[in-house]
Amino acid sequence: MSLRRRLTLSLFTILVLFAINVGTHFWGSFARSESMVAYRQAVTAGQLSGELAKQLEDERQKILVLSTLRDNTDDTLSEPDQTTALEGIAGTRETVDALGRMVSDVTALQYEQLEASSERLIGSWEAFYLNYNDVRWESDIDDPIPYLEASQRLKELEQRQSFIAVQRANVIDRTIELTDRITVIGFIASIFLTATLGFFLVRYTNDNLKRLKRGTQRFGAGELNYRIDDIDDDGELGDLAGAFNAMSDKLRQAIEEEQEAKESADEANAAKSRFLASVSHELRTPLNAIIGYSEMLHDELDDEAQVDRPQFQSDLGKIVLSGRQLLALIDDILDLSKIETGKMTLAVSSFNPGEVLATTIESLRPILERNGNQLELVGLDAVPEIENDAVKFRQIIVNLLSNAAKFTDQGVIRITASIPEGSDMVCIEVSDTGIGMTEEQQAQVFEAFVQAEDSTSHIYGGSGLGLAICKDFCELMGGDITVASEPGKGSVFTVRLPADPASVRAAA
Amino acid sequence: MSARQILLVEDNELNRDMLRRRLQRAGYETLLAADGQEALNVVKASRPSLVLLDMNLPVLDGWTVCQRIREDDSVSDTPVIALTAHAMAEDREKAMDAGCDDYATKPIDFPDLLEKIGRLLAG
Repeated sequence: MSLRRRLTLSLFTILVLFAINVGTHFWGSFARSESMVAYRQAVTAGQLSGELAKQLEDERQKILVLSTLRDNTDDTLSEPDQTTALEGIAGTRETVDALGRMVSDVTALQYEQLEASSERLIGSWEAFYLNYNDVRWESDIDDPIPYLEASQRLKELEQRQSFIAVQRANVIDRTIELTDRITVIGFIASIFLTATLGFFLVRYTNDNLKRLKRGTQRFGAGELNYRIDDIDDDGELGDLAGAFNAMSDKLRQAIEEEQEAKESADEANAAKSRFLASVSHELRTPLNAIIGYSEMLHDELDDEAQVDRPQFQSDLGKIVLSGRQLLALIDDILDLSKIETGKMTLAVSSFNPGEVLATTIESLRPILERNGNQLELVGLDAVPEIENDAVKFRQIIVNLLSNAAKFTDQGVIRITASIPEGSDMVCIEVSDTGIGMTEEQQAQVFEAFVQAEDSTSHIYGGSGLGLAICKDFCELMGGDITVASEPGKGSVFTVRLPADPASVRAAA
Repeated sequence: MSARQILLVEDNELNRDMLRRRLQRAGYETLLAADGQEALNVVKASRPSLVLLDMNLPVLDGWTVCQRIREDDSVSDTPVIALTAHAMAEDREKAMDAGCDDYATKPIDFPDLLEKIGRLLAG
């Protein structure tokens, strides 16, 4: 549940509790005041009953005295006395009426009985006063029954009313007790609920904020793979955690990209350093011979009277050979560098690969047959003219043949030209029965300088760069070069170049 | 065993021939080896007074040869000078770590090499 929803719910619950308290208070007030009204009525009615009882008593005494006087004397009732007496009776009647106004459902029956009996009594009293002076009128005023009945009824009403008053008072007490209880319970409940909600809200928010803080600290410490996944919230705090996670993802990505860029730059730098170290190594080997022989001949000229001319000439030849080798090496390095920087271009012309092969083989024949090797040529005139860079093609062939000659002794070097069925590539194979290569060596054979480490001789332009250049040239010319070999049995290098001129132009 | 017999281990024919002749002109007897295994065999068989050892050798490389010489009690005190076309400082360290007594970079400064040989043979 989201933080906002939790807060809203808590607030709503507290409001409901307050509403319940306020409602209880108003209901209690209403109930109390209603009971109070009833109580007051009951009290007033009690007072009126007492008053009425007294009036009835007084009037009864007065009338009994007057009745005795009337029976035993001839005194008449004067006009004003009669009026006063009748007013007194009217007052009593009013008191009965006033009591009637205080009547409620529960006292109605008692009141009706009181009203009827008191009306009979008051009526007889009225008749007594009105007929007092009429001597013929027989008074039954001495009869105590009506008075006793009315008194009895009044007593019943009073009892009823006091019972009601007590009942009302009890109701008021109970109401006060109940509302007090509800108010206190509601108050305590709302305090408890507020405190509980507050406690959980604070703890929940605190816990999640702590997790967020811990997460951001771990991000800050570089632990960008860390995920804040323990936030118990799908609202604001959850969103915040998601945003932090996304931020760390982005950061990690950026750092990784940076790292990769740096690594690839470092790798390029390291490769350049290795290349320079290898170049330096390769240049030093022929230079060693050139400088060494030159110094030696110089010393010999200084020290000896007679120079061994054939030996001297042979030594000079070695210097020249090493110089040429150095030049070839420099050319190779420049070629590789041109290829690497994308500055090597193709000089495309039409030529027959078979013819180029034949002339190249002819010029290399002394080298090829030097170790007692046999030369086999297959299908040189079977391939058509192609459009490609003839100079580079020749260089590839020279490199492959030099290698074959170098590593083969008393064996067979076979050169095959063909266009395999279903293929649009011219295929030139140079195979030998030489020392061959292990799988590991084959995997590295086209990498610059790799071969140089183990080569036995660098005399035939074998700089260790030859096969690397062959591979780059073949790819530049729209073809490829592959090797198959077995240690001790020989190697087969296969060059494939496109027979279709269009693909060469596209590659160029 | 002559006190001035030097084993020259070098796989490059031209450089081997050249150095052999210059050492002979300087008055040293020379033994030759073209690869690491051959070098070890000659060291054990002929006990030369010093070894000039090319580091980039077929079969066994120079570092291994030097380590084997140091491990073999009968020849372990033979002075070894490393010869290499690797000119970096760490190449020198690598040679010295393998147990070489000194180090010469190609192209060889011959007078300097003679001085190193003389020093090692005298010491």
